[in-house]
Amino acid sequence: MNFDFNILVKALVELLSALPITLSVGLLAMLIGLGFGIFIGIVRYFKLPGIDLILRGYVSFFRGTPLMIQLFLFFFGLPQLFPSLGNIGAFEASVLIMSINSAAYIAETTRAAILSVDKLQQDAGLSVGLTLWQTMLYVQLPQALRVAIPSFGNTFIGIIQGTALTFMLGLNDLMGLGKMKAAVNYKFFEIYLAVGLIYWAITLIIGQTNKYLESYYSKGRMA
Amino acid sequence: MKSNKLPLIIILIAVALGSIMFFSTKDKSSTASEPAEVIKVGMSGSYKPYTYLDEKGELTGFDVDVWKEIGKRTGHEIEFVTSDFSGLFGMLDSAKLDTIANQITVTPEREQKYLFTRPYVYYGAQLISKDDRNDIVDLESLKGKKVAVGLGTNYETIIRDFDKNSEIEIITYDSGSGSYQDVAIGRVDAAMNDRLALQSVINESGLPLKLAGPPINEMQNAFPFLNNEENKELVAQIDSAIDSMYEDGTIKEISMKYFDMDITEKVLN
Repeated sequence: MNFDFNILVKALVELLSALPITLSVGLLAMLIGLGFGIFIGIVRYFKLPGIDLILRGYVSFFRGTPLMIQLFLFFFGLPQLFPSLGNIGAFEASVLIMSINSAAYIAETTRAAILSVDKLQQDAGLSVGLTLWQTMLYVQLPQALRVAIPSFGNTFIGIIQGTALTFMLGLNDLMGLGKMKAAVNYKFFEIYLAVGLIYWAITLIIGQTNKYLESYYSKGRMA
Repeated sequence: MKSNKLPLIIILIAVALGSIMFFSTKDKSSTASEPAEVIKVGMSGSYKPYTYLDEKGELTGFDVDVWKEIGKRTGHEIEFVTSDFSGLFGMLDSAKLDTIANQITVTPEREQKYLFTRPYVYYGAQLISKDDRNDIVDLESLKGKKVAVGLGTNYETIIRDFDKNSEIEIITYDSGSGSYQDVAIGRVDAAMNDRLALQSVINESGLPLKLAGPPINEMQNAFPFLNNEENKELVAQIDSAIDSMYEDGTIKEISMKYFDMDITEKVLN
């Protein structure tokens, strides 16, 4: 057999040097995406005329086109139209585009989760004198987010794996370093396996965190 | 109520982070825009031995050495940027790179768009046959025979352009290695690829193959720059640096270091 276990182990260790880039792009994109996505989800729930159409277009585009195309359009295409955008670095651009992308998914999840909360909850909130916005923030949203947490976890996993595309923009992330390493010794199998194992490990950690969050937010609630 | 506020806090933090990110990128765009003395050279970092990582993880290779030498001779600082090949031309077009050093072949289409330096690598399309045959010498001798080429490659175009009356049976392959095997077995009569690649196939594969006839044509690799006034001057500087590397034999030395042969000299005279 042609499989070299030592190379796999060595690659696992050496590839860790690219982990900070992958993780920081992924985490920042997720946090920013959560902020904007939840906000957009709420706004879309209220179906504000005009604005809703724009948001629907935004969500549709960013869910309907490959992340790779979005990265290309933003990083290479827009600077040719607006030269001032040309100075955004690969890191910032990756975070920005992946935030906007993930916000689209998170917005849909949030909107659906709010819809899953009984409409009577809103009536109850209003009846005790809360404003519509307060009712959303203190009554509907907390219940909705509990429903949404598993989906948020999925989105985060998707983002982490999406960062594998950022080598295209010149970001030497996990995948990029893996590609460069494999090109040297032609040990594609060992090195891509190592890359895959690291992504898997990250995903497992996200899964565990999600599990914890799910049970935390299910406190005092009968399954 | 405590747990109810957590989502709100997360939103606030995230929005804050988002705005910081947004403004910090805006800040950068206003300061770091002037074309400095730094030349940003993009490469895939995964094309051995032209550009690759050594055991210590340092970027090295033929193209890297050539550019380090150009940097020394022109006084410019060279910054290497590694990116997936698919992104390199996009980065060049959006001025995130000054040039690409990844064995870019000069073509008429590319010349319309980019300003090329003088060539630093020459190579040519080459036919290969089984080592005991002497009937394959040029395109003419392929008539009535089978020739293997990579699907969609330059080489396929070369043969199809020559073969106006469809007298050559062209067999397209997805990858090179399968076609060389078939030439050795006799399933096809010849294969075409670039001379350098074929030479290393013959050296490394152990298959009973040989270069058949002289190179069919000559292609040149050079460094593309965006076509503007500023770059014209820069390209002239780089050209004279490369010229001087030819004169004192430095570029040949670099070639010998990585290839054991001189890939910087013309193939056809």
